[in-house]
Amino acid sequence: MQRGTTRKFSTTPGTRDILPPESTRLLDVQARILERFRLHGFREVITPALEYSEVVEEPKLRDASFKLFDPDNQMLLLRPEMTTPIARLVAQRLRNVPTPHKLSYGLPVYRRTGVGRGQSAEFHQAGVEVVGSTSPGEDAGTIALLIETLQSVGLSAPRDFVLVLGQTAFYEGYLRRVAPETASELLASLAAKDLVRVDEISPSEAAGVREIPRLVGPATDGSVMQRAERYAEGEAAVALENLREILAHLDAGGHLDSVMLDLGLIGRHNYYTGAVYEVYASGLGFTVANGGRYDNLLRRFGEPLPATGFAISLERLMSVLPDREPPPLLVLVGASVEATRLAAQLRSSGVPVLHLADDLAPEAALGYAISVEASWVGYPAPEGLKLAPAEPGGEFEPTPTEKVAAKVLS
Amino acid sequence: VSGLRVAVPKGAIFEDALAALGGAGLPVEVLRENGRRLFYVGEGAEFIVSRPSDVPVFVEHGAADVGIVGKDVLEEQRPNVMELRDLGTGACRMILAAPKLKAEEVRKSISHAEVVRVATSFPNTARRYFESLGRQAEIIELHGSLELAPLVGLSECIVDLTATGTTLRENDLVVLDEISRSTARLIANRGAYRLRHEEVAALLDAMRGSLLD
Repeated sequence: MQRGTTRKFSTTPGTRDILPPESTRLLDVQARILERFRLHGFREVITPALEYSEVVEEPKLRDASFKLFDPDNQMLLLRPEMTTPIARLVAQRLRNVPTPHKLSYGLPVYRRTGVGRGQSAEFHQAGVEVVGSTSPGEDAGTIALLIETLQSVGLSAPRDFVLVLGQTAFYEGYLRRVAPETASELLASLAAKDLVRVDEISPSEAAGVREIPRLVGPATDGSVMQRAERYAEGEAAVALENLREILAHLDAGGHLDSVMLDLGLIGRHNYYTGAVYEVYASGLGFTVANGGRYDNLLRRFGEPLPATGFAISLERLMSVLPDREPPPLLVLVGASVEATRLAAQLRSSGVPVLHLADDLAPEAALGYAISVEASWVGYPAPEGLKLAPAEPGGEFEPTPTEKVAAKVLS
Repeated sequence: VSGLRVAVPKGAIFEDALAALGGAGLPVEVLRENGRRLFYVGEGAEFIVSRPSDVPVFVEHGAADVGIVGKDVLEEQRPNVMELRDLGTGACRMILAAPKLKAEEVRKSISHAEVVRVATSFPNTARRYFESLGRQAEIIELHGSLELAPLVGLSECIVDLTATGTTLRENDLVVLDEISRSTARLIANRGAYRLRHEEVAALLDAMRGSLLD
């Protein structure tokens, strides 16, 4: 007898097997999201799960990554996100293609850091990147797409979610002008969300250093922009104008009431250079999606192209989606050739059929149907089928074949 | 101020936290009704009472909208939460201490970059402290009665929190260095800070008012 080996057969910490119905829902939601992306002309790309370690520069992402070595002893990473791999892909593969590139993806990413803190080592992201345009209309376009996508899977704003929008360059520009010596420490403190530290180290004469990070409010109410106006000079003024244009585009699309402004939001990664945003859903402490403009990232790969985009975390999105009825399914029981013929006939009339090619007793068949979340159980009968709803003690009734579709699909 | 769920730490800063929240108009009286409960529902606010080190966990996951916790805990855990206000109360110091008779010896070991054994409940803080000095330490994590560790030879020194220094003195320990100072902080979940910004901002304003009094 071997002992103590069971642990090797479980999944590694932070990973899991995803079973039906969760797995079907995940793929369904992903399919609906990618379909929404296509509606805006985005086309999917697939990149390898493994990248050379040098591709990812962001220290936080590098630390978060699983690392391994290839046969040449080169360090590789399991991709911790998709933005950087797509930047690499664009710089290497799409050099002579007209811009902007509008690309999308729905793929798993891998991080080791959240394990043990309620986060997974492997999770699914769906997102878009627009590469090759500085237009605020593209920022607004991706934000609008994100809002529409969340609505299309069953969330409504502002009841279920809110998109929090900031502009990294506004606070940075203001700091470079009024507090150039402490700017980097202030930005580091704000990135750590430590507003107490920001207050402590801010020079007393520059009120905006303390106030800008606390400018938070609905985008529909103009007061945040008005108060921000006081600090808009030089680079900060350019950044604020950019934000105003984005808001105008969002307003034109009717998306403004999903948006909340937070001028203290500067984005989780250093590569963000302009508009940044995060989506929060009621009842969830973590971001459901995040994105922003990153105009300098592609320079590293030899193609200085501006870009903007977002990623939705599918598992987190799933956790806030309303429950959905399982799709209709008929379990057709019977080992006979007649059963096989009937299954094919029903499928061709649009009925999803799981054919169980064994002669199972009705009670066992009902039990099986319930376990696979089917809605009906049927047996071949002289005039068509004997049909019962898939529930404990479901009663079988003779049903003509041509009436089955109406029943199952209703 | 209404409808927020607040995480309050047991122990040293419990009373200070209640005073700050009560001063801001939250119904903290419910917390005094029954000392054994962990979850209280008051008029317009709910309260969770937990270990200080668990407060950031509740807040980071959104199980509580806001919380009160010492800066020492935030430094140790670096949770992904908004740190909104210094309440100024619950002041204490993170210190490096050693037994009086061995203090000089430990000081020398550290300055010679020898590996010292450090007992602490704050392993990240201790590790970062020694790294910042360019010195080496073997960190031994304990969950209480740290003062015991150097007395029985488990470690040469300790990294611990002290408010008055009484426990240190009673165990013949002397402070070798002050690592940082800590006070109580108001923290908020990132989502709650935006989704419930009106309530959180109102709480902040009310606290500012009561702190100035």
